[in-house]
Amino acid sequence: MSTREAILDAVRGALGHKTVDGAALRREADALLADLPAIRPDLLADGLVEAFIARLVTPKVAATAERIADARELPAAVARYVEARGLPAAIALQPAAVLQALDWSGFDVHDRVAPDETLAVGFARWGIAETGSLVFHSDAETPILANFLPLHHLVMVRASTVLAYLDDYAAATAGQRPPRNVNIITGASGTTDIEGSLVLGAHGPRYLHVVIVGEATDQSAR
Amino acid sequence: MEEATLSFKARAERALADPTLKIAIDRTTGTAERKRAVAMSQFPQFDAARERGKRIKDHVIANLDHYLLEFERNAIASGAKVYWAATAGEASQIVVRLCKEAGAKRVTRVKSMLGEEIGLPHALDEAGIERVETDLAEHIVQLGGDRPSHIVWPSMHRTREQVSEMFKRLHRAPHQEETIEAMVDSARRELRDKFLSADVAISGANFLIADTGATCTVTNEGNAELTTTPPRVHIVTAGIEKLVPSMGHAIAMLRLLVRSATGADVTQYTTFHCGPKQPGDRDGPEEFHIVLVDNGRTRMLREGLKEMLRCIRCGACMNHCVVFRQLGGHVYGGTYPGPMGAVLTPVLDGLEKSRDLPHACTMNGKCQEVCPVAIPLPTLLRGWRDRSWREGLEPASVRFGLGMHAFFALRPGLYRMATAIAIRVMRLFSRGGVVRGMPGLGAWTAYREFPAPAKRSFMEMYKEQENQR
Repeated sequence: MSTREAILDAVRGALGHKTVDGAALRREADALLADLPAIRPDLLADGLVEAFIARLVTPKVAATAERIADARELPAAVARYVEARGLPAAIALQPAAVLQALDWSGFDVHDRVAPDETLAVGFARWGIAETGSLVFHSDAETPILANFLPLHHLVMVRASTVLAYLDDYAAATAGQRPPRNVNIITGASGTTDIEGSLVLGAHGPRYLHVVIVGEATDQSAR
Repeated sequence: MEEATLSFKARAERALADPTLKIAIDRTTGTAERKRAVAMSQFPQFDAARERGKRIKDHVIANLDHYLLEFERNAIASGAKVYWAATAGEASQIVVRLCKEAGAKRVTRVKSMLGEEIGLPHALDEAGIERVETDLAEHIVQLGGDRPSHIVWPSMHRTREQVSEMFKRLHRAPHQEETIEAMVDSARRELRDKFLSADVAISGANFLIADTGATCTVTNEGNAELTTTPPRVHIVTAGIEKLVPSMGHAIAMLRLLVRSATGADVTQYTTFHCGPKQPGDRDGPEEFHIVLVDNGRTRMLREGLKEMLRCIRCGACMNHCVVFRQLGGHVYGGTYPGPMGAVLTPVLDGLEKSRDLPHACTMNGKCQEVCPVAIPLPTLLRGWRDRSWREGLEPASVRFGLGMHAFFALRPGLYRMATAIAIRVMRLFSRGGVVRGMPGLGAWTAYREFPAPAKRSFMEMYKEQENQR
């Protein structure tokens, strides 16, 4: 008997059952998530984008955020960010069509993120108001390392893709083939490994700046 | 003397005599306790969420065979290879074999308690494969050549002063300034090129998602993704109890896990890894292997410890344990310390070797109170005590003491007389409501005070009241 069979047999022996009805189990599992408002926290504000930003700037998440009306204003927002922090005007630009289409004149732009990259500009598919998180899927437009190597990570997200809860992201993608990586990123990299005190910039970015574009399609949180 | 060969008592005495250790433990557990309390005050739904978390895990455990097969089917469909290991040794051998097949010279590792449990660091070292621990705390443990002492903060037994000294001695470009920020920077510089030049990445999993075949890691440092993206091969080792039906269920568990562990609402990085690099992907491993490990879990299911399979390894029980906070994690001698470790170590290492652990507990119930999946830890510990007694593992002194107690307890008149004498003698030694020293009580009063007994016993007072009626 293979190890696999031995383990499964040991499980079945301990549970004392033979066959299970997969569909009934699925219903039972779904029922455990039927009343989500009772088991998850409240949002920090009524509007989704407002709640998202309020969470982003809490000391726990420690990101910074700003809003712009149109994606075409992103290069100017990056220019302000670079100038305010005295950074070189060189950016690793995520190879996302929505970013590549913008006018980056005045910047030295490259698409491969160096191990000691100072600033990378990225695009997140979703924002999550509950936690102040950004969601990325690995694909041809989204190298995963670009989210982790730079010291400053500046991320654009559309207001219309800010979801209320992590569960809403799970529901939005249920049934689809998952990407290799789903990164849910909340604030900058941090560690509490030396005496429990929080220090930012452990291995990943030390600074996270989120630029929210446009207006939410639905202003209510639920 | 090697710590592993010492008795529990000898290890405990050594830990109690170490003032630096006490400072280190207090700094981390104190912060953890405060932050958790704040997080809970901002999550009034916690009680309901915890009850649900418990039910989610119970549902999975009650149908574990089904979920294991569903996970395996979906993982294979995503391009992963799935392996099954019955024991720690088998699991380590599979990982080492995969590393050798990949021609690995350098392996980067993401902290995983299961990896520690199956002895993976040692197995890789034995196989002559360079092992790079990328979690900051595990990096500190590796530099110090010792063992993790906490499941969330493996290097909590080190003060910042000790970490600073090690980094200065062992890093290529160490920090100049004596701040924790500068030390973290030093580790960032030290590990940067190692992330990018490894041949194989090894991680654990906080959750296995049955309906997609994905594995989930949570970190605050971002070391998991930096570890698992560049190498050609990614190997995941995970206990079979880590399953959840879907991502939605993982999210419900994450809300409990992170608040209980660090007091944050969510970790900085929550990543779902599903199979190898897909067509068009810019980066990622070409091979993705998952090793499902039993190592005592089916035995726990069979032998009345299935509630322990709910454990999501948050560490709250140890942060709130009065015994752990005096001793630290190394004293427990196994992979898992604190209350959850005292339940798990007898399964993993045998009760004969670890019978002291279920006794190193005051039964104050704090661990059960803070457990995010409501594991009745004191009850499970009492179960081990009971079994140790039945199997004749309790030493003669304990059997004699309990025999004496039974002798008096079965003779109420004698019992009353003995307690009446004892409390009067103890009161002779009490000052300001506590006994700080008394013949025969030295083992207790060396580290703590003994509360002075009441003037008279309950039975004496009861009788007096009866007489007044």
